[in-house]
Amino acid sequence: MRLACEMENTLCILMAGGKGERLYPLTKDFAKPAVRFGGIYRIVDFTLSNCLNSGIRRIYVLTQYRSVSLNRHIRVGWSIFSHELGEFIECVPPQQRVMDRWYRGTADSIFQNIHILQRERPERILILSGDHVYKMDYNEMLAFHVEKNADLTIAGVEIERSKASAFGIIGCDEEFKITDWEEKPADPKPIPGKSDKSFVSMGVYIFNTDVLVRQVIADAKSPTGDHDFGKNIVPRMIGKHRVYVHAFHEAHNPESTYWRDIGTLDAYWEANMDLISVSPQCNLYDDRWPIRTYQEQVPPAKTVFSGGSGEEIDRVGTVLDSIVSGGCIVSGGRVLRSVLSPNVRINSYSSVEDSVLLDGVDVGRSARIRKAIIDKDVHIPEGTVIGYDPGEDGKRFTISPGGVVIVQRGISPT
Amino acid sequence: MKRILVVDDEVHICELYKRDLEDEGYAVSVAQSGKEALTAVEEDPPDLIVLDIQMPGMDGIETLERLVGGDKRIPVILNTAYSHYQDDYTAWQADGYVVKSSDSTKLIHEIKRLIGT
Repeated sequence: MRLACEMENTLCILMAGGKGERLYPLTKDFAKPAVRFGGIYRIVDFTLSNCLNSGIRRIYVLTQYRSVSLNRHIRVGWSIFSHELGEFIECVPPQQRVMDRWYRGTADSIFQNIHILQRERPERILILSGDHVYKMDYNEMLAFHVEKNADLTIAGVEIERSKASAFGIIGCDEEFKITDWEEKPADPKPIPGKSDKSFVSMGVYIFNTDVLVRQVIADAKSPTGDHDFGKNIVPRMIGKHRVYVHAFHEAHNPESTYWRDIGTLDAYWEANMDLISVSPQCNLYDDRWPIRTYQEQVPPAKTVFSGGSGEEIDRVGTVLDSIVSGGCIVSGGRVLRSVLSPNVRINSYSSVEDSVLLDGVDVGRSARIRKAIIDKDVHIPEGTVIGYDPGEDGKRFTISPGGVVIVQRGISPT
Repeated sequence: MKRILVVDDEVHICELYKRDLEDEGYAVSVAQSGKEALTAVEEDPPDLIVLDIQMPGMDGIETLERLVGGDKRIPVILNTAYSHYQDDYTAWQADGYVVKSSDSTKLIHEIKRLIGT
């Protein structure tokens, strides 16, 4: 099997059309894939980097809600494909070509774009989601799909059973043929022999195009259902088609199965906090699997003030165990275990701990912030305290179930 | 009596099918364009549609896509002089595909398969 040839015959469709309601207010103005992550990235950069590193050069991004910033990011950051060589990345909003409605679900978004599949006529379709953080070589999954002569292969990963009820739960035989499937059950079933783990779908699918087209047409004609892959298409195919699961391992690091669905504010905060640990589960510094993004031209990050005498003695610009992006100035304040996006300013005598600060945040003098997500361009006035008194915070801000305070744009933090 | 809408821009084809299908006990109405067909379906939905592909203006494929994308579930048989549309993914939205012939046997067979007599 010539894998490169097989991949050339595979078209990628990246789903980026969800509302992202569980990540609100970060998704107030952005589609979830365009939300900032890890200082300089956007969530979608991980999936797109996986595509690039796997040699995938034909990508349609299906967009829908609040897509302006996502379109712009793809246009300015990912216009690296050569049309002359038949490569492309293109955003496709609902066209309303022949029907007056938006995408009703993931399956409907493919159905509404059958004419694109007809134009491209790929052998297979790789369907991805734009809101997951992981590093995956899709060639391994494609090789598995071809070897098993599968109609559909779904990527699966073991995760904590306590967190599994947000996903499709996979049951398979020893040949990895999927024998049962439960979409988002309240009580996910464990993996045999591992009572605290479940085997879940990563929302990564390889379909033979013929099978996919027939399935989404049948789905579109069905008056009931959510027109969704996990809820409708996959359960309908099991037992009738060759449906397999490919067990995920990280690219160049087979010991790791790090995969995160950035579906909630807590998951977003935790995945950011992972990046600042000494040995993060998601290593951004592996030059064999680079994660690329678009960055504006900004000056380097710097710290200023190193203490002095008298009142100035505590005026020390300090950054410890943190990610600091370009354009940031830590000016006489203290940053601990935090992720700073570009152009953040930390003013004197302030402290920021265990927090994620998005672009352009300005933390005023003597402010104290702990376990918070501060949205883009928010100005924290002098002396403000956030993250120390849940009662007070609750009056002004969103607080996640995990206790992270979210300070959104457009409200006054005083 | 089951009702069939025949959509074709060629009048004599419509007449031929009307005669043959009425002989089989179906009630037949005709439309000579995609637009006419969609209006007819909106006003009085038939039990099945026999749809030509190459028509001026809105062709059969677009008509089919609009029918499937709409809220009515009416079986459609594509009836065309060309066999290559069978490989076209957009044509797979139809419930049947019959290559045109002066002999209506195959078409009638498909109709019976989908809606009975």
